[in-house]
Amino acid sequence: MSDRLLSTLSLPPPTLSALAGAGYETVNDLSNATPQQLSKDLNIPLPASQAVFSATRPSVALPMTQSAAAMMGTTKQYSTGCPPLDRLLGGGLKRGFILEINGPPGSGKEQIAAIAVRAFVECKQEVLFVDMQNMVLPATIKRTMMRNPTANSDGMDLVRYLAFHTTAELVVFMRNLTAYLEAYPATALLVLNSLAFPFQADMALKERYAILDRLKQTLARACTSLGLTVIITSQLVTKMLESHGEPGSAPPASKATMIPSFASNNFPSGRTYRVIIVPQTRMTGVMRLLSSPTHVPNRAPAFAGEEPYQRIRGVIS
Amino acid sequence: MRLEQFSPHISHKVVEALQRIGVRTDTDLLLLNDPTNIFSRLPPELGLSLLDFRRAVEKVAQIASATPSYGDELLEKELSRHEDVFADNVLIGVPEVDALLGGLSPPRVVEVSGDKGSGKTALALQLVLRHLIQVPDSSVLWIDSSGEFAPERVSLMLEQLGAESSSSRVLERLQISLAFDIEAVHEVLESLRRSLTAVPDTTGYGESPATRCIVIDSITPLLGPMLSATSSQGHAIMTTFMRQLRTFADTYMLTILVINAATKILPGNPEAVFETTRKPALGPSFTFLTDATLWLSQRSPLSSTDEEATLHVAEVFRSRTTRSKTWALFKIKNGVLVSA
Repeated sequence: MSDRLLSTLSLPPPTLSALAGAGYETVNDLSNATPQQLSKDLNIPLPASQAVFSATRPSVALPMTQSAAAMMGTTKQYSTGCPPLDRLLGGGLKRGFILEINGPPGSGKEQIAAIAVRAFVECKQEVLFVDMQNMVLPATIKRTMMRNPTANSDGMDLVRYLAFHTTAELVVFMRNLTAYLEAYPATALLVLNSLAFPFQADMALKERYAILDRLKQTLARACTSLGLTVIITSQLVTKMLESHGEPGSAPPASKATMIPSFASNNFPSGRTYRVIIVPQTRMTGVMRLLSSPTHVPNRAPAFAGEEPYQRIRGVIS
Repeated sequence: MRLEQFSPHISHKVVEALQRIGVRTDTDLLLLNDPTNIFSRLPPELGLSLLDFRRAVEKVAQIASATPSYGDELLEKELSRHEDVFADNVLIGVPEVDALLGGLSPPRVVEVSGDKGSGKTALALQLVLRHLIQVPDSSVLWIDSSGEFAPERVSLMLEQLGAESSSSRVLERLQISLAFDIEAVHEVLESLRRSLTAVPDTTGYGESPATRCIVIDSITPLLGPMLSATSSQGHAIMTTFMRQLRTFADTYMLTILVINAATKILPGNPEAVFETTRKPALGPSFTFLTDATLWLSQRSPLSSTDEEATLHVAEVFRSRTTRSKTWALFKIKNGVLVSA
């Protein structure tokens, strides 16, 4: 056994104080005790003392660890089905990475998400599609997939669909995500459509930060350990500027600018590509890469890459 | 410590009798009450005389007290260790910055703090990669607390440092652990301890590389949320953790680099040589839990020449072995630290 201090184990406070009161300081002190003896000695219930012993049991390997070579080893790049986006990402979206697409209403972000689903299904990967604003219905996904002449209807079996729109449901979803992914290990893509929608509800800043932090942790864990690829689409928010460009309240005829709802530190920056769609005319515009894993923040230029696109009859090229 | 552990000096029956009256640990026995009082509460059938009991209590006091260490012995030990202070294999590669701390050879726990974009992760990564390139049989543990580690940065930096041929071996020896709270870090350290203590058992031709260096990227989200003005529990957890890191570094001869973020301070920071309104996070006592605190900041571009390089300053806020309020300039060019 080891000299690990018992206070560093994650046990409930009454158990820890009972252990300290009886003089048990390190894991070594517990080496000749059994759960029944300990529970009688400390006057704690038997499940609590069993929890102490299971917490001290050694785990086999370094938890949640991989070498840098293993992290880089997953070089399979999936095409997103949208050539300018693929070019911005340097070939495609790699397994285990997060792509966030921002854009004004009508710029086609949900369409890109649906096309990406098709691309993954064609590679026989399972997809979990989560829609938070009822923007993309299962029928739309089916229609997008059927557009490909070689598609078969078995493809729809690989896509699972979930819809909700409140913050509470988002929190429940995040808590259950790891268990879900372990139950369905073939899920390769998670699409979070309209992620900014549940956050539009009136909530305190602290609550917002807490939920975003939880989201970041859940996504980072899922991407690192399970190799999950995530595509997130989010709306832009409007920020009012005073006439000289300073943030402030809005007198009439002042400028407003639309900025992404989330900041770079809301997603694990070593694994996230953030893209914004900037429509310039009805059919054409540019896509800009706001941040990528190798893009160092606080350095000019403000974005890491730009690709023009055009949208003809719903097909982006 | 429990009284059972003093067994040759106190017999088992006495320990049981003491437990029945509520004396379980050595602190209870020594500090709860006068030995005579405790003796009077013991049942007379034990056959123990007051003199024997007092002798037993004295023996317990002797064993339970801390062992003294003498200043002259410590000085001798320190001086004899001084010869490999500049051992070349744990250095950042920028001579002025390495000289600020007197090298980074083990055992050492160093805090690197600064604002966003000041070069902390770049510095840690450069240190780690240089070490891995130069010492082919060591490995490094990188504990990532916010999912920010990007393997692409590693290969970019390896290219810049000029080590393509051995790059795959280097990448295999850099282990990255994801730990979002302090308990997870304890788990990681525990399994590392187990693997390091198991190494002498394996005979033969060194298979698994030995860990020489640990980097905790951003300890601020691990410890910061627990610090509060109303309770000292967070502070206790922080101190215990840093103490453990220190004993870990001493026992296994490791260099541990702890990256810390920065918070606001108004008016200006009196510790800094240059005018700034930022200071290292985690409170005023965190700097005393490590061997040295290095503060990195980016200088405004007007003093830098041009190109892709940004000018940075590294200052020593506090150090056990070198002078503080010393500073050095360095540039970051294409993600690699070079002399200014």
